[in-house]
Amino acid sequence: MSTAFRTCPVTRLKVHSQADALIKANAVAATIFLIVGGIAAFLVLLTRWQVVHLLDAAWFYRMLTIHGMSMLIFFILFFEMAVLYFAGPVVLSSRVPAPRIGWLSFVVMAIGALTVEWAMWTGRADVMFSSYVPLKAHWSYYLGVILFAVGALTVVGLFFASLVVAKRERTYEGSIPLVTFGALTAAIIAVVTLGHGAAIYIPTFLWSIGVMHVDPAVYRLVFWGLGHSAQQINLGAMVALWYMLGALTVGAVVLNEKISRSAFVLYILFINMAAAHHLLVDPVAGPAWKVWNTSYAMYLAVLASMVHGFTIPAGIEVGQRLRGVTQGMFGWLRKAPWGDPGFSSLIFSIVIFGFVGGITGVTFGTEQINLIAHNTLRIPGHFHATVVGGTALAFMGATYYLIPLIFRKQVAFWPLAKIQPYVFAFGMLVFTMAMTFAGTFGVPRRHWDITFSNTSFDLQYSPAVDLVIGIMAVGGLIAALGGAMYVLVTVWSVFFGRRFDLETVKTGGQI
Amino acid sequence: MAMYGVPPGITNPPSPLPAGADGEHPKTTGTLVLVFVFLAAFATYYFVNWKLLSLVWRIG
Repeated sequence: MSTAFRTCPVTRLKVHSQADALIKANAVAATIFLIVGGIAAFLVLLTRWQVVHLLDAAWFYRMLTIHGMSMLIFFILFFEMAVLYFAGPVVLSSRVPAPRIGWLSFVVMAIGALTVEWAMWTGRADVMFSSYVPLKAHWSYYLGVILFAVGALTVVGLFFASLVVAKRERTYEGSIPLVTFGALTAAIIAVVTLGHGAAIYIPTFLWSIGVMHVDPAVYRLVFWGLGHSAQQINLGAMVALWYMLGALTVGAVVLNEKISRSAFVLYILFINMAAAHHLLVDPVAGPAWKVWNTSYAMYLAVLASMVHGFTIPAGIEVGQRLRGVTQGMFGWLRKAPWGDPGFSSLIFSIVIFGFVGGITGVTFGTEQINLIAHNTLRIPGHFHATVVGGTALAFMGATYYLIPLIFRKQVAFWPLAKIQPYVFAFGMLVFTMAMTFAGTFGVPRRHWDITFSNTSFDLQYSPAVDLVIGIMAVGGLIAALGGAMYVLVTVWSVFFGRRFDLETVKTGGQI
Repeated sequence: MAMYGVPPGITNPPSPLPAGADGEHPKTTGTLVLVFVFLAAFATYYFVNWKLLSLVWRIG
């Protein structure tokens, strides 16, 4: 197994060949699941658009399950594995300890994900993302999730080991860089998350083969330690990428290392408690438990996001002003490189995550308000803004740097790549806001037919609902177009793109 | 130097910070304005939701 290093002439980082290869493998796997989840999203959207109503009920719920698992678990976590290999061995100019274990983990994750996909596509697991007991899937579905989680947990262990190796071999001086610290946060949250996954999916697997009983209330409680916390791994990785993209694209400075690192620590301590908001209307949890977790602990995690939401734009502003871009109040923003898809992705990611996802999320996390938002389209409106408009867009922006720096290829269809974040962000903004509005009118989430046709009762929505759902569908289609552009650009670049020799870049600046 | 298919952050990375940049930072007035826009949006949305709740469940 090759253990050679190359020195990146742009970043001056020493890149271990195994880190290179593992990043590529995980990024490609992430893109494959993005395509699968994207196709399912397209079909779900065209079914929820009442005038089209494409799929029948069985296929709608099947596609909804496939969409949820492929996007929220497989796409995001495979990409995060790539982020861990980048933020650990690459950023620290260190080696991947035990690369064979890294490859074994990748294979285990791939087998787990493919097993789950097989169960879902063959109709053995129409249980949706949350797979609430007593909805029962085929045992292979639970086994696949367990395998995937074991593989991911092993990569997290490798990341921790790479920090130890880098420290011992003195590949860096002082504290670990902020990007690595952010990834470390994501990795610690991943341990907690995947621990919850094991705690609930192993009993559920045994239940599926008839060995034991699983209490539905206990399932709901423990599941959200996995289901929501998995999105907090995204959060840590996304914020780490925000700092990285800010530095790469405009030379953003870190205003105060201690404050940024403290905000990451707040995530570790409090963000998993925010998962309690899924149970705010659940009768099995008591009010004290709900209020402590969502009205106290959750706000400390929100505070962390607000700290990052301030320090990153402020770091960009300070960086720009120190380099002489001092015109007016927003000259630093006006003169920024908006044609750089890494930069535009960064800004749109922060705006959509904060203004749409953040504000709605905190509001729904209030117990009383949750009563009018729970199980309506407002909830997917919120998390599409955080996970898709926020995290996926940040991942897309990072990919435009990953392709030349790691794959050493030029980004294909460059003009298309430059407008892709605009198309995707605009589509997601319209989609998530319309979804939120539709939910305000009481439109339920995860529902095949909101008209309740062929039922014994008549349900009337406001006439505005048809219009809002139509706007949601148009926004979703634009976002799907943006997603397809991303897939075209990245797949073409990686497999058919022109080789790019980093040595030809004469950098006069700093990264 | 711009290059087709390569982000400008790689071909033309940000220039090094000028000497003495470690000292006092310039004021972040633009960011502060954006932060207050965010807080206003937050407060408005939060208030509207309580108002909606009060309309759904009237007391008295």
